[in-house]
Amino acid sequence: MIKNYLSFAIKNFRKQKLFSLINILGLTIGITCCLMLFLFIQNEFSYDNFHKNGKNIYRVMRVGEMNGEKHEIPYVSAAYAPALLSDFPDVIQKVVRVVRDNDLISYNNTSYNEKNVVLADDNFFSVFSFPLIKGNPTTALKDPNSIVLTETTAKKYFGNDDPMGKILQFNKDQQLKITGISKDVPVNSHLQFDMVVPLEILRPMLPDWFTNFPNNTLFTYVQLKPDANPGQLEKRFPVFMDKYLGKYYAKTGAKMSLIIKPLNKIYFASDNFDNVKHGNRKMVYIFMSIAILILLIACINFINLATARATDRSKEVGLRKVLGAVKKQLLSQFILESVLFATLACILSVLLLQLLMPAYTGLLGYKLPAFWSNPWFYIFILGVIVIVGLLAGSYPAIFLSSFSPIESLKGKLKAGSNGAFFRKTLVVFQFSISVLLIISVVVMMNQMRYVKNFDLGFNKEQSMIVRFDNFDISRKKKQFKNELLTLPSVQNVSLMSGEPGGFHDRYSFEAESNPAEKYLLNTEFSDLDIVKTLGLKIIAGRDFSENFGTDTTQAVLINRTTAATLGYNTPEQAIGKWIRNITGDSLRRTIVGVVEDYHYTSLQTAIGPLVISPGKDNRLALIKLNPSKLKSTISDIKKVYAVVAPDYPFEYSFLDDRFDQLYRTESKQESVLSIFSVIAIFIACLGLFGLSSYTAIKRTKEVGVRKVLGSSVENIVLLLSKDLLKPVLLGACIAAPVGFYFMNKWLQGFAYRIEFRWWMFALAIFIALLIALLTVGVQAIKAAMANPVKSLRTE
Amino acid sequence: MIKITNLEKIYRTEEVETVALNKLSIEVKGGEFVAVMGPSGCGKSTLLNILGLLDDPDAGSFVFNGIEVAKFNERKRADLRKHNIGFVFQSFNLIDELTVFENVELPLIYTGVKSADRKKRVEEVLDKVQIMHRRNHYPQQLSGGQQQRVAVARAVVNSPKLILADEPTGNLDSSNGNEVMQMLTDLNEQGTTIVMVTHSEHDARYSHRIIRMLDGQTVLENIMV
Ligand SMILES: Nc1ncnc2c1ncn2[C@@H]1O[C@H](COP(=O)(O)OP(=O)(O)OP(=O)(O)O)[C@@H](O)[C@H]1O
Ligand SMILES: [Mg+2]
Repeated sequence: MIKNYLSFAIKNFRKQKLFSLINILGLTIGITCCLMLFLFIQNEFSYDNFHKNGKNIYRVMRVGEMNGEKHEIPYVSAAYAPALLSDFPDVIQKVVRVVRDNDLISYNNTSYNEKNVVLADDNFFSVFSFPLIKGNPTTALKDPNSIVLTETTAKKYFGNDDPMGKILQFNKDQQLKITGISKDVPVNSHLQFDMVVPLEILRPMLPDWFTNFPNNTLFTYVQLKPDANPGQLEKRFPVFMDKYLGKYYAKTGAKMSLIIKPLNKIYFASDNFDNVKHGNRKMVYIFMSIAILILLIACINFINLATARATDRSKEVGLRKVLGAVKKQLLSQFILESVLFATLACILSVLLLQLLMPAYTGLLGYKLPAFWSNPWFYIFILGVIVIVGLLAGSYPAIFLSSFSPIESLKGKLKAGSNGAFFRKTLVVFQFSISVLLIISVVVMMNQMRYVKNFDLGFNKEQSMIVRFDNFDISRKKKQFKNELLTLPSVQNVSLMSGEPGGFHDRYSFEAESNPAEKYLLNTEFSDLDIVKTLGLKIIAGRDFSENFGTDTTQAVLINRTTAATLGYNTPEQAIGKWIRNITGDSLRRTIVGVVEDYHYTSLQTAIGPLVISPGKDNRLALIKLNPSKLKSTISDIKKVYAVVAPDYPFEYSFLDDRFDQLYRTESKQESVLSIFSVIAIFIACLGLFGLSSYTAIKRTKEVGVRKVLGSSVENIVLLLSKDLLKPVLLGACIAAPVGFYFMNKWLQGFAYRIEFRWWMFALAIFIALLIALLTVGVQAIKAAMANPVKSLRTE
Repeated sequence: MIKITNLEKIYRTEEVETVALNKLSIEVKGGEFVAVMGPSGCGKSTLLNILGLLDDPDAGSFVFNGIEVAKFNERKRADLRKHNIGFVFQSFNLIDELTVFENVELPLIYTGVKSADRKKRVEEVLDKVQIMHRRNHYPQQLSGGQQQRVAVARAVVNSPKLILADEPTGNLDSSNGNEVMQMLTDLNEQGTTIVMVTHSEHDARYSHRIIRMLDGQTVLENIMV
């Protein structure tokens, strides 16, 4: 029986080449997209699942409140770890501190500026499951002068030589012995490192750092005892915080509480600036819906073409029924056929996936783990075959097998009209999805363009950022600046703590306007040249100036929002008043000027209060260049850098690129969505193409007759196209409000956003209609141009 | 009304070259009723298609109403056709998706007749062919004879000067066939020129003149008395 069905399915495939090809092509593309997105999604949800003790590992976080909003801060000081271990010995089994670092590592005469070094406690490899290829995980980090490299890093330094026991130089003055080689860190780990160095190596240099509580520098992970109750533990934290930080909090007016966050929740937590890998749940959901929608579109093609062809197969069905087939047998025959199609499409999809993997890696920006060793991948494929087979096969199967034998044998089933309404409904659905995607892309593109061209209130062009990521450059930053200023192509240089778009600390302040109140304000610690270099606008008072001599220690600038926050009605009122950084400054400073608000954070957030204070905590140099001769300028600056910090490679970025990077997630969403909306509309049009060629064939005779009776070619094209374009237009109209709803939600993520305009919807509908028209039109024109004599002969 | 001289039509497929019309010359005067006869494959339908401006000849001249039309392009032919020529086919060629009324109405739509006028005209001809009571039925719901009557109605609704009929009775039994032949005769008496292809000597007797063809050429012309 099965053999009979199979051979029949193959014959059918051959007989209906065009339709079969369209089905297979559409399904293959749809399934390939699904597989790609599945791999992505699965990887996202697999983050940090590989740790054996993962269920008991938590990261310690502080929670602060500002303007009624809770902020989770992943950094605590080094002192927390021993205190936690000694105060909660009944619950906490192990504590491990981790800090990301940037160090100069040398072997023989080659040095590398390693950006991905992790300094950690010696139990790092026993708490986390990063397996060692060589070395003992429990003892590898015991000696403060040891180091563990990943496989790839070891290759970089030693090629094929055995690295174990070799000595590496750490920041020029310390020797580290290699005591272990770890496997490369899996993609799906929020912690990424190239080498691990014991945290203890810092103790001789920074003894206070290990004991000071008010300090935020490292991550602390706790491993709870297997039967511990994390909620119970958190309830005991207020007492703990009060014990160690009560006095400090009373002084500053800030207050923080402590929580622990499960390891597998870290990846999707949107903590800013913790420098570990994070995922975006929203993006995962967007991907997921796209995958499902595209597969649906492909399935609809299958259903549509199968039912459209149904009348052609009515004779077969009638005959089989007359010969004694019961409905159930026919049902299983047709479902088997569609499962066969789905299987074939899946096989092709896997091949296509293999081909597209490099491009996909490029799009994602990282390499996903190989799929052929992933058991879930096969389970997913099986699922797709079953679901697509049933979904796409059952309606046509029910539809076909319900034909009455007499009618179908007589050929009385009217061509094409059976299920035509159902087919059109599905086309409506397909095109509403496609148009929805196009609308999203149009809105996203406009918003991103808006964001990129937004007047940020400072000049981001021609501004180079050089970060002070090593001791040499930090120590000699003044010299660096002075030498830069001698270059003719350098206009201005300012040393600052955070560039626009970068990290800005937040401190408690007290101010003259209401001395009893404590204000949490963002800070920028710079030299006196920040206003000139960034091109900020002074709206009251004056800029910092060397002429006053005392500005470095006694002056601050504030932005317009701060003036308002402090309760001044106009910026002018703030001038001459005092303000004090409770932790940072022992003395009060005078507000000498107010700058116009500028976007020192991304456009996703509104501008907050900012205090610009001359200070030593500079982490970068912002270099304003002359527009001409960029190439030679860069090499000139490189020379200066080489003089100041000869051991470190010169690395730089540009402020405008840095700002664009803030919207990386959104840009990625935009590009992914554009690609998939193109695919969606392509598959939808493939189906439309199938349907229109089917109608064209079915209506050959009608077209012939109409032409004989004097119809023009245009009339015929219109006649054939109209029928299929109506559902497309209807689908587009349904998509518009849905698109409005979703895009409105997406735009809420931006404090500064575009307005919806009617043309965005019109454009999307126009694009979809145009593509559909081209698809249908080609078939219609072909049919309309045919010689009517020929089509009537076939009767 | 029709004068063709040395008309040639050659069908070329990959290997075979079929000469369907071989230097054929025929003249049909206005008001004539001509029957074309001949064995299967001798080129009768080909001739009719060319006369109906559905197809173009490869060589020769075709003068229709005093105008040389052999080299007309598709658009011009369609224009001339829809105002002057009506067709009746052996297999009726009604459009399944349209009702009787809509089928008959179609030529009027293409010649741009206003809706109200169309309704009047269609009802007139449906009345004439006695199918008025079935005006809202679909072709599938009619018998063969009824379908052919609708087809004739459709052919005449535009009051064409020429009606071309290709084996109009081929699919009908004799009584239905006679009915259709009677209709054609009536039309001819009202002044319409008719060229009809037929295999039936009986039907040919309704005509004024029989043109007998063989291998794309006329071999004989009988004038009926
Ligand atoms: N489109 C075509 N391609 C190739 N050959 C054709 C084509 N149309 C007709 N012919 C050939 O031209 C010749 C004349 O065909 P035509 O249809 O005019 O014959 P007919 O006299 O109408 O025959 P019948 O009485 O069977 O209808 C035949 O040999 C036929 O095979
Ligand atoms: Mg013929």
